[in-house]
Amino acid sequence: MLLSSKNKKKRGNFPLFFLAPALISVTAVLVFPIAYALGLSFFEWNLMNEANRVFIFFKNYVSVFNDPQFWKSFLLQIGFIFIAIPIELIIGFFVSILMNRKFKGAGVLRSLLLLPVFILPVLSGLTWSFMLQPEYGTINYILSLLGFKQIAWLAYPGTAYTAVILQDIWRMWPFMFIILYAGISGMPKEFEEAATIDGAGFWQRVFYIIIPYLKPTIITAILLRTIDALRIFSEVYVMTGGGPGNSTLLLSLYINKQAFEYFNIGYASAMSIILIVVTLILTIILVRGNIEIDGDKA
Amino acid sequence: MKNKRLKHKFLVFLAFLVVIIELFPIFVVISNGFKRDIDIFTSNPFSFKFSLQSYKSVLTDYMFLNSLKNSLIVALISSSFSVLAGAMASYAITRYKFRGKTAIAYSFLTSRMIPQISLSIPLYLMFRNLNMLDNVFSLVLAYISFNVPYIIWLLLPFFASIPREFEEAARVDGCSEKRLFWSIFIPLVAPGLVVAMVFSFIMSWNEFLYALILTNTQARTAPISVNAFMGQYAPQWGQLSAAGTLMLIPAFIITLSLQRFIIKGLTAGGVKG
Repeated sequence: MLLSSKNKKKRGNFPLFFLAPALISVTAVLVFPIAYALGLSFFEWNLMNEANRVFIFFKNYVSVFNDPQFWKSFLLQIGFIFIAIPIELIIGFFVSILMNRKFKGAGVLRSLLLLPVFILPVLSGLTWSFMLQPEYGTINYILSLLGFKQIAWLAYPGTAYTAVILQDIWRMWPFMFIILYAGISGMPKEFEEAATIDGAGFWQRVFYIIIPYLKPTIITAILLRTIDALRIFSEVYVMTGGGPGNSTLLLSLYINKQAFEYFNIGYASAMSIILIVVTLILTIILVRGNIEIDGDKA
Repeated sequence: MKNKRLKHKFLVFLAFLVVIIELFPIFVVISNGFKRDIDIFTSNPFSFKFSLQSYKSVLTDYMFLNSLKNSLIVALISSSFSVLAGAMASYAITRYKFRGKTAIAYSFLTSRMIPQISLSIPLYLMFRNLNMLDNVFSLVLAYISFNVPYIIWLLLPFFASIPREFEEAARVDGCSEKRLFWSIFIPLVAPGLVVAMVFSFIMSWNEFLYALILTNTQARTAPISVNAFMGQYAPQWGQLSAAGTLMLIPAFIITLSLQRFIIKGLTAGGVKG
């Protein structure tokens, strides 16, 4: 008893040594910058004309909410999330059922499927813009083989937006796949066997057994992907730069444009803070449903 | 019965087909790297003459080599530091009782989710004021902002899974706190440290936005160079693809060697440990 109380006292002081490197570095490059951005967002501040810095309090936020382009970017972002993620989820879900059987080479196939997740986002964006080129692009070549007309995908608003989403679906459905596969492969075999004996068909098993079993996994996967999709930048930046006609100007790209093309850093900071708030709300939802710190158990 | 076997065969065939279609864009990149430019500009992707021309020009391009070197330095230093700091913090969070522990753990989790663009403006101004723009070291620091929180959450379950008896036995033997961490815990969580190192390496290796904003020519990293092959007037697809293929090597290594840990790596902080 004595030993343990002595230990406790000592242990009470100790974590600081272990926490210090992470706390100090994260404060320097993350907490402080967020506070800095919050401060910036109260100023009218243009990098081209820095002497003219004016404290305007919430006016940047008022302007943001009255900025049609902000709402357009916001809607593009929401659309992106609502189109891309469900499709990624559906493909990932059915492929994980498909891959959940024994055959030669199954393991290799599963790991090959993960390559797109780890590819340089920039390279993914550039490769898609290559494949979508008119005249020599691979996808246009395939379309022309099938008797369709070639399309200059990245030249028109609707097709450019589609292309950006396609790129994301291609790169990220394997993420859904691997998470759902982990769930499905851990599902007790009896569940499915019992259902099969009872004469349940494929869709019945999907809706009454597999989906309910995987529900927590699916929710986590969707939330993680949504948070991730809120910050999408480099793929779109290299594919379209936000164009044509701002049709793919997602939030990150619009903030980047305001900050580093128009140099309105006060205004851009206000948008950054709004984006952080949206992310935090989603994160809280994620945390509340899912997470516990394991060490507490012991 | 025969019907069932046929169905199985069909589904296996379908699985292969899915993978082949999915990997097609990667095939396009790799094969473009080995094509002459004239062949890239003809539409049939399968008819070409094998050539190492693009690799030759990429590997003698000073700008690209310099950026590759920068990428390596930044990714290695940033992830090594982050693994060390992250492991220590993760250890403290799982193995000690102290006030504000949950708050600290959750703040690290939320900071992993913060969009990079939101940090890019203040980071740009900070490094400008410190006269550190276009400096490799500022990228190292910037990357810590996503590496450390990520690693802490990745390692929590690894540290938490080690039974109390291990440390109690060591304490009874008079092991000091620091030695306990280094000689007992570090070897026990070694697999976790490898995964953390690899994932944070690859996140830094792939990073584009901070590199775009914080660097110019000297500290430019390889993803920026790959994009620069798009050129102002005409894209140099051959060189772009050759450079891109070289950049894919870590991704190949990770997917083929770390399968077992990939899920933990991808969902760190998202799924119950």
